[in-house]
Amino acid sequence: MSIFPTLTPENKPIVIASVFILAILAVGTAYTLSTQGTAPLLSPNYLLQQLQTGSFLGIAAAGMMMVILLGHIDLSIPWTLTAAAMMATTVGGDLAIPTGIAVGAAIGLFNGLGVAYLRIPSMIFTLGVDSVVRGLMVAHTGGFAPQTAATPIMRFLAAEKILGIPVAIFVWLAVSIVIAVILRRTGFGRSIYATGNREGAAYLSGIRTKAVVVGAFVTSGICAGVAGVLLAGYSAKAYQGMGDAFLLPAIAAVVLGGTRILGGQGRYIGTVVGVILIVLLNSVLSIMQMPEAGRQVIYGTVIISMLLVYGRTAKITS
Amino acid sequence: MAQDMTQDMTQDQAFLELTGISKNFSLTRALDEVDFSCKRGSVHAILGENGAGKSTLIKIMSGVLQADSGTMSVEGKPVHFLTPSEAAASGIVCIFQELSLIPDLSVAENISLSNPPRRFGLIDKKHQNVIANELLARIKCEDVDPNSLVRDLSLSRRQMVEIAKSLGKKPKVLILDEATSALTSRDVETVYGLLDELKNDNVTSLFISHRMHEVERLCDTLSVFRNGRHVETFGKGERTDRDIVRLMIGRDVDAHFPPKPERKAKKPHLIVNDLRWENVINGVHLEVGKGEIIGLGGLDGQGQKELLLAMFGVLRGLEGTITIDGKLANPSSPAEAKSKKMRIALVPEDRKTEGLMLPMSIADNLIASSFNQVTTGFLIDTAKEKAVVAEGLAKLQIKIGSVDDPVATLSGGNQQKVVIAKWLMTDPEIILLNDPTRGIDVGTKQEIYKLMNELAAEGKAILFYSTDYAELIGCCNRVAVMYDGAIVAELEGDAITEEALVAASLNIDTNKGEAA
Repeated sequence: MSIFPTLTPENKPIVIASVFILAILAVGTAYTLSTQGTAPLLSPNYLLQQLQTGSFLGIAAAGMMMVILLGHIDLSIPWTLTAAAMMATTVGGDLAIPTGIAVGAAIGLFNGLGVAYLRIPSMIFTLGVDSVVRGLMVAHTGGFAPQTAATPIMRFLAAEKILGIPVAIFVWLAVSIVIAVILRRTGFGRSIYATGNREGAAYLSGIRTKAVVVGAFVTSGICAGVAGVLLAGYSAKAYQGMGDAFLLPAIAAVVLGGTRILGGQGRYIGTVVGVILIVLLNSVLSIMQMPEAGRQVIYGTVIISMLLVYGRTAKITS
Repeated sequence: MAQDMTQDMTQDQAFLELTGISKNFSLTRALDEVDFSCKRGSVHAILGENGAGKSTLIKIMSGVLQADSGTMSVEGKPVHFLTPSEAAASGIVCIFQELSLIPDLSVAENISLSNPPRRFGLIDKKHQNVIANELLARIKCEDVDPNSLVRDLSLSRRQMVEIAKSLGKKPKVLILDEATSALTSRDVETVYGLLDELKNDNVTSLFISHRMHEVERLCDTLSVFRNGRHVETFGKGERTDRDIVRLMIGRDVDAHFPPKPERKAKKPHLIVNDLRWENVINGVHLEVGKGEIIGLGGLDGQGQKELLLAMFGVLRGLEGTITIDGKLANPSSPAEAKSKKMRIALVPEDRKTEGLMLPMSIADNLIASSFNQVTTGFLIDTAKEKAVVAEGLAKLQIKIGSVDDPVATLSGGNQQKVVIAKWLMTDPEIILLNDPTRGIDVGTKQEIYKLMNELAAEGKAILFYSTDYAELIGCCNRVAVMYDGAIVAELEGDAITEEALVAASLNIDTNKGEAA
């Protein structure tokens, strides 16, 4: 599977985003060369570190992509992630990681049932669920960071290295392979595209569209759970609001990777590219000692202008 | 100024006149050099089969569509309407078949929607209610509260509000497109009274209805349309029902149909018994045997589409039974309908929104109903998938560049073939076809007829709804004609004539049994 085949509507954003990543590295390197005379951005250590940072976001974005492909959205990711991390450290021991994943799956299941069967718009329903989970977690911890700590295996997965490569990158890789295979090679994955393109036609093709919606939200919940477990391992503990920084970047990464926000179109590799773009952009801006205000403005401007460029493709209206 | 002129005009002069009006939709000619006129104070019926051009005609009159050529004049002055509001300003108001009310606004707001009464620049709610009350009283709907939301009204009451709304525009020509179809009998009487009243006020009514008894009771002039042409206009009582049916059909049926499949006298494979759904399907009984092609006829919107959807498990709240091969089926979803247990396929009405995911590739569309067939273990076997897709394309001889092209790039005929191929890949026993040849070219039509025959010969049970009578005559062993949600006639063999079909569609009795 080549990353840059002919430029179909779903590949064009991926190519543009990839070129932009190189541009960020070039600009950053030019800056460091002129100010310090070195090029730290091109060192393997720096790049691996960025990928490690990106793996938490990447795993959350992978689940988010499944939901966005349906034309839905999952705004409960921040507290699904936090709840999974908190419950994993609370339970501890060998059951810590399964607990975290189960918490994510349960919240995802609840989201999916609400969206598919109660027909509540996902933007509203998942926002409500996010708030409810936050309340439950505050009740659980009394509003403070829990005193419990991540288990050694969580720390290993998030913070250790094998052969100089952070283990978290392998976890991201594993999640990526699973998601990419689901999307390309299973009836469930294909049904996600069909349902996202036109739910009515998918339904009349005999696709169980409600089950597809539930499945996508469960996958998103599981991914958020895995990201939460991993992030708790990285920080050695769970804490309030640890997921807050992930929601908008996850959505941005999926959309920058070329997934149509209205659903039905997008390749998984694009989401990976989108995650790398966002992580690098943040990092390079801080290396360039851009003040916070300027960073926010540039960050937002980049997202908007890239989407404008993507929009200039011939569209097939349905 | 216009009013000064009308006073000079005599009763007999045409109020609205159309000359040489033509309208094309891509390749089909909807209206062909139509001349039409109607007088002041006349109740004028427009009759014709599906696709005769009636709807296009009134859309042009009321400014919804613009004619490609020809001229239109009101009171002798040429007019050219670009929007419905321009037409309304000239006094031409249309009550459309599809309701145009906004469900979340109140009755009064809907009635005054296009021109609300204002006070200091703001909408005057009190005055708005007064206007609504007056208009509602005129059509004897005093029981409707102007402040209630349209969504809370019954379908019949909504239709009456629609009529009140159009009266509020003070029409000189009121066009009623099937405006009585959703009304209860009490409201129908009110509308009859209203039309009489309008006639006395010298308002012209153009009345489109498929109910012959209404036309006979109300109208003084009748115009018949066929294939986009205005055939004849005559006064009430100048023609018999049979003549009118003949005029509507014409005599230019010339499509080539393959010989019909031989009907095997077997027990029916599919039995629908006393099926009912929300006043749209009213007690349908139907039997389809293996190897049979059964036609569903009748005018648009008599419950045929809903019947097919019901049999495919789409509709909730069905009463009655659907039996397949002696076993109670009543599918609860399309997924269940296509399962091994029932093996039902439906080629839906609108291929662009119901049949296909247009931006997706041809291959993705073809495989959309058959994932389970190409999945081994958890994963799709891509080699098998390619083979199945290629087989489907070959079976229907679909000409394409690449299977990865978006299906939207195909012609209408080839798109429809993709929909049919998708379903044949599921190996169905029962095939439901909802007007599969609508809007596709003649060559592809022939191929679809041939395919239906082959499928019947293989022992499939086929239920075929078509709005084209010639197709029903050419393809079907038996035709069930629907009217008002029920089957009113079943024609078989040589009894399937266009005359009999049209008569049954209108639910009128002509002398039956005469050789055509």
